[in-house]
Order: sequence, then C-alpha cells, then structure tokens
Amino acid sequence: MSQLSKRPVLVVGAGAAGLTAALEMAETGREVVLVEKEPVIGGRVARFHHYFPKLCPPSCGLEINTRRLERNPRIQVLMSTRVKAARRDGDHGWTVMLETEPEYVTDRCTACGACTEVCPATCSDRFNLGLQEAPVIRRPFPHAWPERFILERDACAQGCHECVDACPYDAINLDAASSLQEMQVASVVIATGWHPYPVEKLPELGGGRFPDVISNVELERFASADGPTGGVILRPSTGTPPEKVAFVQCAGSRDIKHLPYCSGVCCLASMKHAFYVKEQLPEAEVTIFYIDRRAPGRNEDFLVRVAETKGVRFVKGKVGKVEERDGTLEVTAEDAEEGKLLHETADLVVLAVGMVPEKEEDPFGLPRDDDGFAVNDPDRGLFVAGVAHRPADVATSIRDATGTSARALAVGRRS
Amino acid sequence: MARTNVLAPSAELREELRRRGGASAQRCFQCATCSAVCNLAPDGQPFPRRQMLMAQLGLIESLAADPAVWLCHNCNDCTVRCPRDARPGDILQAVRSIVIERLAMPHWFGSIVAHARSTWPLLIGLPLAFWVVLLGVTGHLTMPARVANYGQVVPHVLIYAVFIPVSLWVLCAAWMSGVRFWHLLGSAGPPRRGSFIGATFSTLGEIASHRRFALCEAAHPRRWGHFFLMWGFIGAAVTSGLLVIALYGFHMEMPLPLDHPFKILGNLSAVFLLTGGTMLSFQRIRGGDATGQTTAFDSFFLGVVVLVAVSGALVEIGRFFFSGEVAGWLYIMHLTGILTLFVTFPYSKFAHMVYRTEAMIHQKMTEEG
Repeated sequence: MSQLSKRPVLVVGAGAAGLTAALEMAETGREVVLVEKEPVIGGRVARFHHYFPKLCPPSCGLEINTRRLERNPRIQVLMSTRVKAARRDGDHGWTVMLETEPEYVTDRCTACGACTEVCPATCSDRFNLGLQEAPVIRRPFPHAWPERFILERDACAQGCHECVDACPYDAINLDAASSLQEMQVASVVIATGWHPYPVEKLPELGGGRFPDVISNVELERFASADGPTGGVILRPSTGTPPEKVAFVQCAGSRDIKHLPYCSGVCCLASMKHAFYVKEQLPEAEVTIFYIDRRAPGRNEDFLVRVAETKGVRFVKGKVGKVEERDGTLEVTAEDAEEGKLLHETADLVVLAVGMVPEKEEDPFGLPRDDDGFAVNDPDRGLFVAGVAHRPADVATSIRDATGTSARALAVGRRS
Repeated sequence: MARTNVLAPSAELREELRRRGGASAQRCFQCATCSAVCNLAPDGQPFPRRQMLMAQLGLIESLAADPAVWLCHNCNDCTVRCPRDARPGDILQAVRSIVIERLAMPHWFGSIVAHARSTWPLLIGLPLAFWVVLLGVTGHLTMPARVANYGQVVPHVLIYAVFIPVSLWVLCAAWMSGVRFWHLLGSAGPPRRGSFIGATFSTLGEIASHRRFALCEAAHPRRWGHFFLMWGFIGAAVTSGLLVIALYGFHMEMPLPLDHPFKILGNLSAVFLLTGGTMLSFQRIRGGDATGQTTAFDSFFLGVVVLVAVSGALVEIGRFFFSGEVAGWLYIMHLTGILTLFVTFPYSKFAHMVYRTEAMIHQKMTEEG
C-alpha cells in the first residue's frame, strides 16, 4: 500500500475545480499530474465576464492559481492532453495512456505576436464560442496560461509556412506529431466540467432560428472585454445596442424533454446579466421570465438588489414561444401572478440554458446518476469534482474540489 | 374579477380525475408554459395553467363553471410542450367528462354513460334488443330473400315512431343540462354584456369554419377529421328531416334514385362521416402527445360513430351485394348504432356540442362587454 501512496494523483481537467484539486493536493506534498484537453487552463470560468460572489473578472482568481501552479514543482501540467485509455492495476491504482496533441508551437514561444501578423488564414474562435473568426495562429485570449500561442493546424492554408518564417525564436514546428505516454497513478480526480445546453435544441424559443436569440454563456462573451464585441452588448443582427432585453429562465431545464434537472445557477447568472446590461445601457428595459427565482443563501441579497433596480422586471411564467415579427422578437408568456398572457417585444432574447456534464470521453467507466453527472467510486479510486459531479457555481465547485482532494489523497494511505 | 375566498378542495375529485386518466395533474409545477403555447387561450383569461391548479386541488365547482374547460379544443399543444408531462390536454378532457356527468339529467343515466368503459355492452346491447323485440312483436323479424327497400326490414313508420319521441326526449334532457350550464357560467367570472344573438351567430360561424381548430399546432390534422365528421352529422340530420317530408308530405317511392338531390346529400354526408371517422380513429390508434390519451370517454363515442357510418355504408351497398338476411341484420345494427348515439347524446362526449357552443357564446358576450 505504501507503494501506491508514492504514485501521483491524476487530475483530469484544468478548470476551476481541477486546478483547485491539483493545487490542494500538491500543496500537501503529493505528486500530481494535471491533464487538460485544451491548450489553456481555466475552462469555462476563463470565458466568463464576471463571476460570483464578488462579480470580479475571472482573470484575478485564475492569476492567483497560475502563480500557485508555477511555484509548485509537484504538479506536472500536460496541456492539449486527453486520457486515451485507462486500466485498473489490480487493486492498486490505475495505468493510464495519455495522448498529447501535436506541439506545433513549442515552449520557445514568447508570445511576441510576429506569427499572427503574417498569418493569412482564419478559423472559428472556439474560445469565443465560435462567435467570431480568429487567426489560425494566435494567443487564445489575453490572460491565457500557459503564455504560448496556439496553432489550429487543420485551418492552415495548403503549404503555407509564413508563421515559421516570421517567428524570431524558431518556436513553430508544422510537422509536429501527437505523442503517447503511459503513466501509473494512485487515484483519479475527474473535473471534466460541463457544456451549455445547445440552444439549437430549443427552436420554439428561437434558439438557432433568430440571430438575436443568444445563450447566457454567449452573453458572457459579449460582455467581456476580450470578447467578440470588445465588451459591448449588441444585437447580433444589427450591431446596435438593445433597448429591450428578455431573459428566458429554465430554457431547456427542469424539462423532461431536455434537461430534467435544475442547474441551480442560471437564475443568479441572469440576474448578474441584468446588471451587465444596465451598467452599459441604463435606459434598457430588462425582463426576466422565470418559474422560480432560485437564489439560495446569501445570494438572496443579490436577488433583492436586482429586483429593486429600476428597469429590471421579474415575470413569473415560463416563456412558451419566441417568434419574429417585423424584424423584432416577440416573447409569449403568461404572467401567472396576474393571470394574463403577455406578448412582449424584445430586441435581444437571452436563453438561460443549463449545464450538461461532459461525458463523451470516459475511459474510466464512471458511475453516473440519473441526470448523467458522475458519481464518486471510492472503491476504484475515482473521485469527481466540480460540475462533472453536480451543477454548481464557481465557489461551490471549488469547495467540492477541495473536499474531493482529501478523499483522493487518502487512497493508499488508509490504515 | 370576483374571486371566491373560500376554497373547497376535494380529494374525491382528485381520485375521480385519476380514474378518468387525469393522474398526471399532480406533476404540474405551474410553470405556465401551457398557457403561453395555447393559441386558443384569450389574453385576458389564459388557460390551462389555472385549471391545472384547480384540478390539483380538486376544485370541481370552479372547474364546472369555467368556460375555459370547453374553450379548449384538445389540440394538446400544451401536452406536447409540458416540461413535466402533466398533460394538461388529458386533464381538461377528463374534467369535461366529469362536468358532463355532473350536469346530466337524469343524473343516474349520466353515470351509466360516464362508465362506458364497463357499461358499453349494455349501451349497445339494449338498443339492439329493443329493435329485435320491437320487430318480433310487430311480426317483422323474417327477412326478405333480397332487400329492395329497407322498409321491408323495418317499416318506416316504426322508425319514426321510435326516433321522434327519443329525439324529443334527448333534446329536452340536453336543453335542461344546457340551461344549468348557462347559469353556472354566468355565476362566476366577468359578467355577460354583449348581444346573445350576435355572439351566437359569430360562434356558429366559427364552428362551421373550424377557425379555432385551425389554430392548433401539434394536432393540426384533427381539424379536418372533426370538420368532416361534424358536417357529415349535419348532412345526415338534414337528410333525415328531408326524408320525413318526402315520405309523408310527397309520398315519394323509396329508395330514392341515386341522382335525387336528397340521395346525393345523404351519400355525401356518409362519405364525410366515413372520412372524418377514419381520420380521427387513425389518430387515436396512433396516439402520441398530440392526440392525447384515449379513454372510454373518447373511444365509446367514436366507436358508436364509426359503427353508424360503416354499417350505414354497408346497408346502402347491401341491397345490391348481400342476401336479404345479411342486409337486413346490417340495417338493424345501423339502427342500433343510431339509437345508442341518440340516447347517449346528452351524456357522452357528443354533449360537447352543447357545452362548447355555450362556452364560446359566453366568452364572446363577456369579451364584448
């Protein structure tokens, strides 16, 4: 058993929960391997404009964590890496096969930007949820860590090597290949996070049908200074500021035909978004259509603040339809407190979609609950942290990760 | 709007709803998606969210006086979109069947029809026995070798001697229930102010064109099934009236030739009845959220309609293709179906004809005010 406790703990996913788990464990003296499929850390949180409870930008929290990460020699960080296969070593931990994507830009990169200047091709900017085009070789976003450029090789022009010629540090290798490595670990923390429920599955609410119907996570990008509009909230169809914004709560949530569960964060997210809108556009009218306003604990104070804001209105009644009439959107809902049907016009409709656990790649065969969230499997040394575990806000995910770390550390040490 | 301050929740009503296929009401969490997606709900008095709450609480008195229960055309757009599968379409259908039973005159007969799930053999068997006994007693049970004229099987005078009093009786029963319902509608909600005559004409126009059915999204095909069935009924009723005049007013020879206007009207009605009945039956058999749940309330009425339409069509061709024995008994089955349909009219799903029309007139009168 002592042999097992000398093996590292594997953390899958370097978002808020995975980073926390890796740091907490490494800071107790344990060896940790942190793998992340993206070339940057920070996951979904890095793509927020502001986050709870203090409504600060994610860059400050992430910066503290990257500093802890850089200082700590016990964490091996593997970017652009996935767990390809995993097998149980009898009762003693796991042997995992890790696959790292080709390293087209090496660690010689200083993020000088000479390559981006000459790059002739563009691709969909996945760090901005595909809301804009970006050069094929670029820094993913301003506060990205590691501070290294990425190259989306598939989008390169045939035979082009402009960036290679331009790079003063010889940091670009267009012929790089992916690599595999096998590793033995004691236990595993799964922090694979979530993705937003796709709005295309909600055509009756205008999702995927009208450009001015966007998701809550897209609004985060529009509000963010490093987003596609430089932080200005605009109607995608016209590029003009919206005058009436409608939030559709429980869009595809608490619905047996979509996500049967409540993600528990979308109410507060929309209240936060109402502030984003009112900060930029004090004259704008914001209406939040809801079934229940869920703001547990101290968040209730926030609810009261939003409800008291002039120009922000709460309507109890889920939106049934979003239609387009004469170039503007019409939202239909019953005001259940008044017992009247409302046909409200809006020039921007935000669908408050819920969190779907990432589960496409799961070499560990994790047990899952009825909603698809992964469940701890202590007998096999598998522990789950953050939204992979259950829907949660950032603070709750971080607390969950801290608790999970203690259990993952205990594997092989229990007497 | 006047609101009752004292609610009288009823566990019995909840149990009653459950028995009639309305157990799903308890799943409703009042999100109001149903009201928002209903194209028939008036802006000022949306349904069915409020009615779902009343059904959960068992507030049958409120539901019985609520026009919304009948303004609903069972499109099931609400059921299709309901996030909890609380099935508002099924709930309102179950409530309608309860209201029909409650308003039935006499009540005991309403209860028998309301339990058609178990009483249907009786509801069809008794009229059949009635015809057999009547024909036996009057000495008409021997079938001719070939039927040239169905007057040979059942003399026309016997038919009218049965159906005229039965029609008067059921119309009387439907009238009494209709008046009770009209008073109930007036007892709650906003007052009626507009003109009754104007509202009635406008309602009949809407029914004739099926304008409201056209607003259904999920169950769009039901519009045509119902349209054909309704016009088939109207055509058949008009033909029957015309035949009385033809027989006794002008002493015309039966059967009428195929190109006679009365015959053409009758045959067209039969085609409409068969088309509508087939369309609605297929939709019921296929099922799904857009059709809603099929209970005895639906299948008994639809079954009798199909019996009448199919036996009627067979009777017509029976003269040419079947032996007198077969054609004769088909005719007796046809008359049995019609008698069942007539006798159960104020108590079966058929009664929606009265209540929905009243609710639509009431709605127009309150909105005009």
